[in-house]
Amino acid sequence: MLIQQLVNALTLGAIYSLIALGYTLVYGILAMINFAHSEVLMLGAFMALGLAALLPAIFGTGVVGLVGMFILSMAGAGVINVLVERFAYRPLRHISRLAPLISAIGVSIILQNGVFLWISTQSLRFPEPVAIGQVPVFGATISTLQITILAAALILMGLLHFFVERTKLGKAMRACSDDIQTAGLMGINPDYIIALTFFIGGALGGAAGVLYGMNYGSIKYNLGFLPGAKAFTAAVLGGIGNIRGAVLGGFILGILEVLASGYIPNGAQWRDVIAFTVLIIVLLVRPSGLLGEKIAEKV
Amino acid sequence: MTSIFRFAAAVTAIVFVAACGPKEKSVKIAVAVPLTGDMGTEGQGLRRAVEMAVEEANAAKRFPYKLVAAPYDDRADPKEAVNVANLIISDPRVVAVIGHYNSGSAIPAAKVYARAPVAMVSPAATNPEVTAQQNSKDWFGPRMVFRVVPTDDVQGSYAATFAYTRLGLRRMTLLHDKTPYGQGLAEQFQKTFLRLSGKIVSEDGISVGDKDFKALLTKIKSDVSKPQGIYFGGLYTEAGLLLKQMRELGLNDPFVFISGDGAKTSGIFDVAGDSADGAYLSIVGVPVEELPSAKAFVDSYKKRWTGSGEELKPFDHFGYEAAQVIFAAMERAGSPDRVKVIAELKKTKYTGVLGTTTFDDKGDTLNKIVTMTRAHAQDHTFPSVK
Repeated sequence: MLIQQLVNALTLGAIYSLIALGYTLVYGILAMINFAHSEVLMLGAFMALGLAALLPAIFGTGVVGLVGMFILSMAGAGVINVLVERFAYRPLRHISRLAPLISAIGVSIILQNGVFLWISTQSLRFPEPVAIGQVPVFGATISTLQITILAAALILMGLLHFFVERTKLGKAMRACSDDIQTAGLMGINPDYIIALTFFIGGALGGAAGVLYGMNYGSIKYNLGFLPGAKAFTAAVLGGIGNIRGAVLGGFILGILEVLASGYIPNGAQWRDVIAFTVLIIVLLVRPSGLLGEKIAEKV
Repeated sequence: MTSIFRFAAAVTAIVFVAACGPKEKSVKIAVAVPLTGDMGTEGQGLRRAVEMAVEEANAAKRFPYKLVAAPYDDRADPKEAVNVANLIISDPRVVAVIGHYNSGSAIPAAKVYARAPVAMVSPAATNPEVTAQQNSKDWFGPRMVFRVVPTDDVQGSYAATFAYTRLGLRRMTLLHDKTPYGQGLAEQFQKTFLRLSGKIVSEDGISVGDKDFKALLTKIKSDVSKPQGIYFGGLYTEAGLLLKQMRELGLNDPFVFISGDGAKTSGIFDVAGDSADGAYLSIVGVPVEELPSAKAFVDSYKKRWTGSGEELKPFDHFGYEAAQVIFAAMERAGSPDRVKVIAELKKTKYTGVLGTTTFDDKGDTLNKIVTMTRAHAQDHTFPSVK
């Protein structure tokens, strides 16, 4: 049972982590919480649903079709996030800290209701991209779906790590995160780097949306809200602005939730209460999150 | 300039006269159900059934005035249901209400209707409290809640007897979604199952909107007292997710999944796909396709709506029957008067699609049949278990 629960926790945690990365990347550069991120995640899932109907004709079914659906949905979600930044946040960036925040909430409402009114008010069936089989591992039953989700999430996290740490653009991103004005003086175009950050964050969110749809088999216009709120919490738990912190926070939250509903009698209804109580305690001890550094207020 | 003014004055006068001209007298039957959201498909079905009943009544000239079905969307949300109820009672042309779909919405909305008072006939809300609350001390207003569906105590205990005697199950796990409907069903199941000397191994509540039940199901799977199945009180979205994740964890036949009428809708196949296959779902009444008295209804429903791609939903015949019961009461009352209609509804003895409907002193139907159906994923049907 422990192994089974651990796999359950890791699958859930992987999805939370991917979403949390989107929050943390944007916060790292702009010190702003992108409340529309949960909608980008939802749109990623809806794009994948649309593509799932179209793509087999182009790529065929099987792994190629699946990867194609993934990459196109990620790109689409990334582009949406860039557009949101360009039109809803950038014009407000130099005005005040609160204006983009309110703008983000507005974007979230617009996107969610757009899908509600134009696409569907109900749960839509999300196709199973690969046949789901069960693999027995040490007495636990692990579905191929869980393995796919975990693998996809870990690959994406690995790629992100490589990009941020080893490439020139990643270096520019880190520079902007340290001090955006100085980075600008050093010849980095901050607008470009910010757009890039939004693209990457959106793409990761889109990927999480696709995984979410695959995991639960159905999607709905409001699917982003709950995982969005939890992933945001995970980002804060890990130390918002810190990439490794977001991943750590996501997995911790996943594990907490699974342990609460799996091992505490009648724990399913107390799951969120338990998870968030632990969270408050952690924040009381380490207000900047587990891996967060104490930094002076960004101006 | 003056000619323009004169012209404008003339136009205004014409519009004014036209607006005040003899207006066709119409009376409204409010249909307060979820029209959007997860329960939207069921609500839309009810709306179609009532609209059809109204069209038939108008065509047959049953009333000296024009009847109109006025749909209101409560979004399956108790707060929204109260808003809608307030809107309805402030429209003097509404003579009776058909609704609400969810017990959680029907319970608070009924209190608003009692203030008017206007009759509420529910075609789907099955928690006993919907009518039982009229006996409480703080109920002000006359008794005006009726329902044409049997309650959860009938359904939950039927499912328990079915599980114990027909399926031979002795150890069950209880899950519910913490709503008045889901929890009510689960409690009634538990009561009867324990009385039959069955054992409830564990009990858990989940939240509407939760997606991940894998941890909970893993716990159930590895429970040392080896439950033989799950009884779930709740709606199809969560039921579908539970089924899908159960199958992923290898909880297959003979491990059973039993639930109530809230899960018995084609939507469960959208959520669970083939995983829904084999789920036992009880319904109140008899499946409409297997009901001889409903044949005419099913035929005319198909003729009226199937062309627009709409199929019959699980509660539609209850909606149609609710409308018929109200029409009969309106005819006996002689005028579309809210209070008179309430008084006449109490005396109802109507034979129609569901058989003969009469109400007890709480307003509950005395026509209490429950049927167990089994989901068949291949063709998305629910044949009854014979």
